[in-house]
Amino acid sequence: MKVAVIGWELPPAFSGGLGIHTFNLFGELSKMIDVDIYVPRLGPLYDYYPFKVKAMEIGVHAKYGAYGSISYDFYDAVERYNRAFDKIGSINGADVVHCHDWITFKAGIKIKERFRVPLIVTVHSTEMDRSGGFYPQKWIMDIEREGMKEADRVIAVSHYTKRMIIDTYGIPAEKIFVVNNGVGKHFLELPPRNYRSTGKVLYFGRITTQKGPEFFIEAAYKAISIYPKIKFVIAGTGDLLNKTKEEAESTLPNGSYKFTGFIDLNEALELYRSSDAFVLPAVSEPFGITVLESMSSGTPAIISKTTGVGESLRNVLKADFWDTDMIAEYIVGIVKYSGLRSTLGKEGELESRRFTWQRAADETLKVYRSA
Amino acid sequence: MKAVAMFLEVHQPRRLRRYGMREIGHSHSYFWDDKNSEIMRRVSKKCYVPALKAFMESGIKASISLSGTFMEQAKEYAPESMDAFRVYFKSGLSEAVAETYYHSLASVWSAREFSEQVKLQVRALNREFGVEPESFRNTELIYSDKIAEAVKSMGFKRVLAEGTDYIINQHSPNRVYRTKSGISLFLRNYRLSDDISFRFSNWGWAEYPLTADKYARWIDETPGHVANLFMDFETFGEHQVAETGIFEFIRALPGEFRRRGIEMVTLGEADNMFEKGPPISIPEITSWADTRRDLSPWLGNEMQKQAFSELKLIDNRNEIWRNLQTSDHLYYMSTGTSQDIVVHEYFNPYKSPYYAFLSFMNVLQDISTQ
Repeated sequence: MKVAVIGWELPPAFSGGLGIHTFNLFGELSKMIDVDIYVPRLGPLYDYYPFKVKAMEIGVHAKYGAYGSISYDFYDAVERYNRAFDKIGSINGADVVHCHDWITFKAGIKIKERFRVPLIVTVHSTEMDRSGGFYPQKWIMDIEREGMKEADRVIAVSHYTKRMIIDTYGIPAEKIFVVNNGVGKHFLELPPRNYRSTGKVLYFGRITTQKGPEFFIEAAYKAISIYPKIKFVIAGTGDLLNKTKEEAESTLPNGSYKFTGFIDLNEALELYRSSDAFVLPAVSEPFGITVLESMSSGTPAIISKTTGVGESLRNVLKADFWDTDMIAEYIVGIVKYSGLRSTLGKEGELESRRFTWQRAADETLKVYRSA
Repeated sequence: MKAVAMFLEVHQPRRLRRYGMREIGHSHSYFWDDKNSEIMRRVSKKCYVPALKAFMESGIKASISLSGTFMEQAKEYAPESMDAFRVYFKSGLSEAVAETYYHSLASVWSAREFSEQVKLQVRALNREFGVEPESFRNTELIYSDKIAEAVKSMGFKRVLAEGTDYIINQHSPNRVYRTKSGISLFLRNYRLSDDISFRFSNWGWAEYPLTADKYARWIDETPGHVANLFMDFETFGEHQVAETGIFEFIRALPGEFRRRGIEMVTLGEADNMFEKGPPISIPEITSWADTRRDLSPWLGNEMQKQAFSELKLIDNRNEIWRNLQTSDHLYYMSTGTSQDIVVHEYFNPYKSPYYAFLSFMNVLQDISTQ
């Protein structure tokens, strides 16, 4: 069997989780079937990947910034990339085409029609998630809906997302399959951590409405008012960075918080491992891979009930994203009570090990075979 | 075997409500009265009252312990269940068994606290039912030579323990032994007990459905003196709900026993009927809980250890402190093993061990800052 994957990015380029997901999932799948991955030529690529990579020329010249980040007109690049598939002569005998999120759906539909192969789409996040439900862009939702409608199978990263796809996009439940993401192997090979308190509490992720940074700051304020010794670290960047900084400055005491900006994998690992707790107060998070990264680092996680991965986790603390009193209570509880910190940390670490890319690949292959 | 000694544990804890950190120093009401009342009323209606009615009508003999925290709440929320137990004790079908008033772990850390809680319990049984218990069953069958010795020094004639795999490899659970210190020792036959308490309604079990005829035949065919069937009283109507046919089963049992010449006996009667086996030494602590049959359901993880050690420090000997000693609070914090987690979640009103821990610790802090 051969799959043609219409991807967007691959490491070392890094803008969100999509490149890492593509690399890990298809690294595993390529052990079982042939995998061709298409990406636009935008950022740097490695010389070698465990699967065949075809970089499509789209005539966009990206600017390189710090930490390997690149900048370009995103919507223009998406449009050009999808158009590039108009001219494609063959898909090298692929039996199935697999697209990831709306940015590649148009290309997927074209390939399905031209080469008469089943279309699989994976939904990592929807416009409803990304906008946090506030002013979603209709034209993107239209592409999402069309891609899911045309698809023979839809893979959702959680039951939370499956429900969203049914309720918001009207897609029949029968063709939606849930395949959870895995956690990267870097996180599975760590030595056991110690549970001496550092008093540090971590936010790590894009700083954007969807992830609920404002609720983090509000919970931080409330936590400090109960237990003043806590320090808050906000790692990552995003469109709400400045607003979030302002909120922190106006509510939190000087010296009680720190913004790190963009961080790479090693810095992230270091931060996970040195924090007492990780908090993800996401308004709407389809999966939440950082939750598993934190847990597999041995660090207790506090997450919102609207975080997809939480639905199958026992060893996390859950609250409504807006319930900052409860989140603050959990933060203080973890920092203050060593028993909670170490039990939640150790049990969470064990539990996170169930989420392997191997398992995700096995389940994805089953979906291909059913199409 | 021609005798069956059934022992049933009756217990309800005073559950804690979710008590938040901001309440520390402000609110001193800790108990989840609504939930406790709701559960007591429900269990009384589904289990205590109909089960005791079935026992009386079909002549089932059982030795029974009732924790102090059960008796208090029964009187408050479901007095009809106390009346039903009164009638049952008067009928001569039952023997009252002692334990700690608070169904606590006092036996594993303080001889003084252990003995005070047992005294409280014996006084309560005497006051409520006019009985003088001679047999002792510690919280969830927690047992060791040392605990048995303390039990003997309090004047009890017999004590109950788990027939763990390790012990029954050498000693059949189906007879009466002596403890190292010399009082009578009854070992639970966990297989026959769990056939009713865990497996009765399990469709996946090869022996499903369990009939009274089949069960009586098993007992008849098993070598030994006495089948020690120890379980939660709540098995009848609560864990195994009426729809499973548990009441029909229990009502049919005495007839099936009689047909085979099997007698239902109290612990005291069994003690007098049979010659004692050799003394058995059990130096390490055992219990009837979880798969490991030790203290790990209560003191298995770091949360439980921290909660327990901070609880012991308070040591103010008042009623609230003692209610917090009820073992269920620690049990709710168990993260268990995968085999046991379903059982833990069934009993856990907070659904998560972490939330149970947080409320408990916050309450402890409020008490120690008072």
